[in-house]
Amino acid sequence: MKLRSSLVFGAIAAAALLLQTTVLPVAPLGRATPDLLLIICVYLGLHQHTVGGAFGAFSLGYLQDAFSGSAAGLNAFGMSLVFTIVYLTSRRLWVDNTISKVAVVFLASLVKTCAILALVAIFLSADGLWRTVLRYLLVEAVLAAVLSPGVFALLARTQQLQEAEQE
Amino acid sequence: MLEFFRRNSVVLTSGSLLLLSLLLLSATAGDRRRSDPVAAVVLEGMRPLQAALSGGLDALGGLWRSYVALVGVRAENDRLRQRLLELEQQATRVAEVEETDRRLGELLRFRSTLSGEAIAAEIIGRDPLPWFGTVTIDKGEADGVRKNMAALSPFGVVGQTMMTSAHAARVLLITDHNSGIDAMVQRTRARGIIEGALDGGCVMKYLKREDDVEVGDRIVTSGLDGIFPKGIMIGEVTHVSRGNRGLLQLAEVKPSVPLDRIEEVLIVRGTAELREAVP
Repeated sequence: MKLRSSLVFGAIAAAALLLQTTVLPVAPLGRATPDLLLIICVYLGLHQHTVGGAFGAFSLGYLQDAFSGSAAGLNAFGMSLVFTIVYLTSRRLWVDNTISKVAVVFLASLVKTCAILALVAIFLSADGLWRTVLRYLLVEAVLAAVLSPGVFALLARTQQLQEAEQE
Repeated sequence: MLEFFRRNSVVLTSGSLLLLSLLLLSATAGDRRRSDPVAAVVLEGMRPLQAALSGGLDALGGLWRSYVALVGVRAENDRLRQRLLELEQQATRVAEVEETDRRLGELLRFRSTLSGEAIAAEIIGRDPLPWFGTVTIDKGEADGVRKNMAALSPFGVVGQTMMTSAHAARVLLITDHNSGIDAMVQRTRARGIIEGALDGGCVMKYLKREDDVEVGDRIVTSGLDGIFPKGIMIGEVTHVSRGNRGLLQLAEVKPSVPLDRIEEVLIVRGTAELREAVP
């Protein structure tokens, strides 16, 4: 990713994090909160096949760690894992229509949550955490999948505008 | 060799970042209340935006409530509708001011029951992940907030500060699984540790099997952890499980503070003392 592109993605990630920490927790969704940063991470995995994309995914996770009660590295690992899997998948499978992208976000949400759950069990030994996580696992994956077309459209439009500007 | 690295640069970078994440995690897993300078900078940088968005959200909520209340009177003429809208907005504003006034009054009354310095702070952000219990407040080191200070409300214990920046701080709620508070049963003085149970409740662990604990018992802070003043309400026992064997028993506790609705907190040092009983 070029510097300008990185700054734009950074600004979008900051806006998504703001929404995720202020507006979405008070929305009437129970305790579930859609993971907007995960959608951005999946977008990077699908469209930014560069070293910058990998760093972007790690940064998204680290940003989430900085604002969460989790230990540093937990979400950074989850996001990097999602990026790697989506990147490898998109090199072998054709993931270009809306339905397949929505399915990828849904699966990515499950992968990230399961990875975090495994790491929590290994490093943090939080009794009973898995019960809470499992309760929201599917709801969060569905919410992320539902919101993904809108976020993807916004990111694609931003990228198009930048490319047009550069030309 | 160089070609291999070039061709697989993304996968190799991702692999390295995964390893780095694991290293970070193993370094910080033991103490989540660590000092993370990068996180502190991020927290500080986002604070004004979070505060502005939270404020805007409140204003939008007021407007939305006013609008919803008026949807049914569309048939009315424009003048009456406009007048009604104005009055409704005014009523909403007055109700909001009265509600804020009531909450701040309660906070002030509670403040007067504590000795020592207390800092009133507003909650401006919540944890982005539902399975961790932290909130961001709008006061930081510049206001006197430090790590490991108690966050209280007129209803009881909210949590403790786990990280601070110049003008913001993060509070670990008592329902977070990483939270631990030295506590006692108010009626029998039996001691244990209150830990978060994540489903919006807490559990009291390390209670001796012979300790007298019953459903409905009030749990208060013991003051022995040096973070919370003694005698602050934590919650009420909702269930006691003794099991068939073992030396200990476990009590489920419902926090006295509505943590999902609370908007302001008082930050105090553990050296503060309660001058009179909190209701």
